[in-house]
Amino acid sequence: MILDGVTLALVQNRLDNISQQMGWVMTRTARSPIFSHAHDFSCFIADARGEIVSQADGIPIHTGGGGFAVRALLEAFRGDIAEGDAFVLNDPYVGGGNHLPDWVIARPVFVDGEIVAFTCNRAHQSDIGGGAAGTYNPEAFEIFQEGIRLPPLRLVARGTTREDLWQLLLVNTRTPHFLDGDLRAMLGSTRIGAEQIGRLCGQLGRDTALAYFAGILDHADRRFQEALRGLPSGIYRGEAWFDNDCFTAMDIPILVALSVSADHLTVDFTGTAPQIRGFKNSSLANTYSSVYTALSSFFDPSIPRNSGTFRNVTIVAPEGSLVNPRPPAPMTMCTVFPACQIIDAIWQALGQADPERSCAGWGNSSFPICSGVKTSGETFVMYHWAGASGGGAVRGRDGFPQQGGVNTLCGLVIPNIEAFEQLYPVRIARQELRCDGGGPGMYRGGTGVSYEVDVHRPVQFSFRGEGSSKFPARGVAGGGCGATGEITIRTSDGDLFVAPPYGIRHVSPPRLTMVSSGGGGWGNPLERDPALVVRDVRDGVVSADAARDTYGVVLQRDGWRVDLPATEARRRTLRGGHVCPDPSAVGESQS
Amino acid sequence: MTMATGPASWRVGVDVGGTFTDLVVASDELGVRVFKVPSVPADPAAGVLAALERAASGLGMVLEEFLRSCALLVHGSTVATNTVLELKGARVGLLTTAGFRDSLEIRRGRRSNPWHHREPSPLPLVPRYLRQPVRGRIDREGNEVEPLHAADVESAARLFTEEGVNSVAICFMNSYLEGAHERAAAAALGKHWTGRWISVSSDIAPLMGEYERTSTTVVNAYVAPGTVGYLQTLDRRLRDLGFAHSILLIQNNGGAVSVEQVADRPVTLLLSGPAAGVGALEYYRRAIGSGDLISMEIGGTSCDVIVMSDGTVPVTDDLTIGDHHLSIPSVEVHTVGAGGGTLAGVDGAGMLFVGPRGAGARPGPAAYGLGGREPTVTDAQLVLGRLRPGPYADGSVSLDPDLAAEAITKSVAEPLGVDLDAAAAGIVRLLEQHLLHAVQRLSIERGLDPRRFVLVAAGGAGPMHGAAIGRLLGCRRVYVPRVAGAFCALGMLHSNVRHDYVQTWAGHLEAASVEHLDVAYLGLEERARRALAAAGFAPGARLEREVDLRYLGQQWDVRVRLDGPSKPDPERMRAVFELEYDRLFGHHQPGGIVEITKLRVVGIGTLPALRPRDAMRAAAPAQPIERRSVYLDAARGRVLLGVYRGGDLRPGHRLSGPLLVEEDTTTMLVGAVDVLEVDDASNFVIELLAEA
Repeated sequence: MILDGVTLALVQNRLDNISQQMGWVMTRTARSPIFSHAHDFSCFIADARGEIVSQADGIPIHTGGGGFAVRALLEAFRGDIAEGDAFVLNDPYVGGGNHLPDWVIARPVFVDGEIVAFTCNRAHQSDIGGGAAGTYNPEAFEIFQEGIRLPPLRLVARGTTREDLWQLLLVNTRTPHFLDGDLRAMLGSTRIGAEQIGRLCGQLGRDTALAYFAGILDHADRRFQEALRGLPSGIYRGEAWFDNDCFTAMDIPILVALSVSADHLTVDFTGTAPQIRGFKNSSLANTYSSVYTALSSFFDPSIPRNSGTFRNVTIVAPEGSLVNPRPPAPMTMCTVFPACQIIDAIWQALGQADPERSCAGWGNSSFPICSGVKTSGETFVMYHWAGASGGGAVRGRDGFPQQGGVNTLCGLVIPNIEAFEQLYPVRIARQELRCDGGGPGMYRGGTGVSYEVDVHRPVQFSFRGEGSSKFPARGVAGGGCGATGEITIRTSDGDLFVAPPYGIRHVSPPRLTMVSSGGGGWGNPLERDPALVVRDVRDGVVSADAARDTYGVVLQRDGWRVDLPATEARRRTLRGGHVCPDPSAVGESQS
Repeated sequence: MTMATGPASWRVGVDVGGTFTDLVVASDELGVRVFKVPSVPADPAAGVLAALERAASGLGMVLEEFLRSCALLVHGSTVATNTVLELKGARVGLLTTAGFRDSLEIRRGRRSNPWHHREPSPLPLVPRYLRQPVRGRIDREGNEVEPLHAADVESAARLFTEEGVNSVAICFMNSYLEGAHERAAAAALGKHWTGRWISVSSDIAPLMGEYERTSTTVVNAYVAPGTVGYLQTLDRRLRDLGFAHSILLIQNNGGAVSVEQVADRPVTLLLSGPAAGVGALEYYRRAIGSGDLISMEIGGTSCDVIVMSDGTVPVTDDLTIGDHHLSIPSVEVHTVGAGGGTLAGVDGAGMLFVGPRGAGARPGPAAYGLGGREPTVTDAQLVLGRLRPGPYADGSVSLDPDLAAEAITKSVAEPLGVDLDAAAAGIVRLLEQHLLHAVQRLSIERGLDPRRFVLVAAGGAGPMHGAAIGRLLGCRRVYVPRVAGAFCALGMLHSNVRHDYVQTWAGHLEAASVEHLDVAYLGLEERARRALAAAGFAPGARLEREVDLRYLGQQWDVRVRLDGPSKPDPERMRAVFELEYDRLFGHHQPGGIVEITKLRVVGIGTLPALRPRDAMRAAAPAQPIERRSVYLDAARGRVLLGVYRGGDLRPGHRLSGPLLVEEDTTTMLVGAVDVLEVDDASNFVIELLAEA
């Protein structure tokens, strides 16, 4: 069948709209605030073989990974899927899940007795049992401690919900009222999507519709190859590091080699560390999603993000490694860490192929959780999002001063301080940009912040994050690294300690002080517009010392104007000497 | 001010747009007349005066005479909006609580599209060194835990003076609960800084959320000197010319307000243009006979969608202008970048695209011959025969079909390997799909079924797409105002005067004391009553009580309206809340704990409705002025279509499509199985019949 470019656009646009509509229905009907507020879910449409044809709604780190889920259920139920069925799964080892908290509802769409598509919703549940409330157990060393595991299960059979299975799911959560409502919302959104796909196939005719679904994948493949042709052929390497396995300090590498040819890209993780004890292993689905997020965010954002886009991308993830572990390795943290590390390593490799488009590393965050009981007797769980880190620079803009993580590309919105103070027994003292936190560069890294909070009740701290890692955010194209961060706690008993990256502590009412890490810089700081350096000094985000020693900018006596002749002389000296440390050397010394 | 419209008096609406200034004159005697003149961006007041002169001479009068008999002059102005978009505002200083001077720059880490991470966020409107920390703290209950350090205000004032700051914003932590520190700081600032403009957050946006409240207050400070200065000058010039009243402005909430009353909060004028669409819907709903309307106003670059359900247009607290996030009561308008000037092309892998880029006023569509080479939607309509070639808007632009055909051939038809008509029709279809999705978004997100709505197609380009979109939505009727191209200017004449007052409230509904609630409501009502009295609505003002409620722990509030000024009854409040919750979310939680978050009072001064004399009815069947070859759709291809002059169509006329109607400000396409009727108000109704 010959496809025309007008219908192709109409069908793609319609499918994208259907996946967005599924998202609107989900936001409107779900119960737990994680969906309405943080949008921690993704709606997508897969074809009959489990290839994703549209994922217009959702967070970046869910990109493309859903295909694993559909293919797993096809494998499990091949030949035994009926109209009116709907499936649920979460297990990363046998169900194509990315991590246990993200449950997938997948619903087959039948037209004339044949499956034409699956409408799916992947959503982070509020609680799924396991060793800690709220789905994250930083002390897990086996997946069994992380919650209930679901292989592909038929949740709805020919339109009838399996009540016994439903009850099994509800007794395995600490928040059954949320799960009950949220599962219904997920089922509802996939039903709306399925109806719309049915209608689309009715309008076009089934065979024509299927031909256009295939055409959409082919088109994305062509778009991506077009982008790939812009890179010189060769092998490019990137790396990112953990400095702990959640229990013990140790250096753990994630290595990637990108082989670029005119029409193909291989992403090879050979050399990456073996799977680790803690829950920072990455499921295969999450590894693929992380690679897809890195690639999509590097190239033109108008390139579609479906399975066709990555048809000519081969991913090699050695079994038993941190990016493709064997059971029963735990992995709940993977959608954040190592997702951020995988994205960063691939950005680093791509940046060598195309330095103009290279992206500096984003600061990693820690999001410690405080839980306790208010004086009213009500329990509370508070995530300290307001201590998030700074973003990395690209050519054309400085890094974002504070952001919710490169895995969401700013999809995570930080709540207001006033909202925290209303919801929790805390008074926040500070959330301010750091001085010299951002990696120097022609475009400067984001500064990160200083965050201080008094918690008025005894609490359990659950630490989780890379915000105090010794590995800083990477600078690129001659830019410098961001500053590293630190978390300290002073309790009302007078104890003062540096928080561990992962683990659980019980403390009397504490003051938490976080200094978040800064993002990396892009380009040589000696080429930053001196006016911008002056602005940064006036703003107190770059010190006068750093202006002189790193940026080579000398201020006039009033401190608010550039001394141009002195600056030119200073920059000449610095270019000749080695006052500005070579950032790549910094990276090596730390690896 | 008197609101009566005497026999020799009229209302005037002036909508200053980027390219044209629309002016509508209406009275019971005269009906509705539209005038269009080019805007004068450098001196908007000159543009307004030019439009008024034009209207006066059109009515055979001199300007002074015209203004003297003018009962109401409502102005929708993009002055405040453009100040923000073009970064031409004041030099602003900000006083913040020590420790939190950066919320304006951190922006809660928000980005409008995560995948476009290479685009910079807008620079904060106040640089960090002018965001000055002040010690002092109010806690989560509104109690002072650290007194205000006046010395910090003093040193900031000295810096502001040295730095030439001419407008100051004040926003302190938790001031939405207790504004005493902000008021004290404003007073202290006044002693040490000689500027005139001080914007205080607890006055302007007393809502929880320091980022949005700071941003709102800063934008207010940023636009105040220029906007208020402009409006006061215009007001004075018009009074000097004989206009007896104050001009009225349209606010974000869709209501009108006088210059004097808006002088301390010009931030409420940012949505001035589109919000006037609410007034237009208020007006047309009588003629349409339904309060369930969706308007789609399409101009050169964008389409504004407003949904009126059961006679009410939702007002939310969120507004985003130029990527600045504000908390200020605003009509819910969904805007998409899809209009006549939207650009089309084919990507490197053979797929058609339409938008999001537009050609702007210059160079505009290829057919303008002003240097545009890429095809736009207007070029496609011209190629399809739906737009007439030649001059428009008194010759200020002219459409050349050869240039349009050339651009579409090169950029779309050849790369796709299709003929010219197929390429042009594809552009229109894809644009219409974007428009459809924009309408669906607003309706589906609110849980409304668009099929029971009447689609109102407005703006210069709206009537060309109305029938097609209405059909895609499943609507049965599409309404096209005769003055579709001056929709908002007309709406201004029917915008009631409106003031919104809000007070944050923290507590469970069950525990709330009826007396305390009532006292709070009475306080808000007193403020509303005073504002309305000052606008000439001493009696005759309508006050509505509303309350924002939510289930404990929920993030989203649900706003419900309470009946009348009777004492607030918690049981009744819960019942209304559950009903609304059910409608929005499909379920509610019987016995769930309900929290009150905000009390609101809306004060409305209702303008008497215009009752235009019946238009002359049709005396004879209408005749087309020409028959033109027009591409209709894929199934029918090119058809010889009757083209009618709008002025020839009178109430009582009923014509079967397909046909085209050319009006002064717009062109309307009626599809093959549609029926066009002119209603008693002399506007157009397109009935969408089922395809045979």
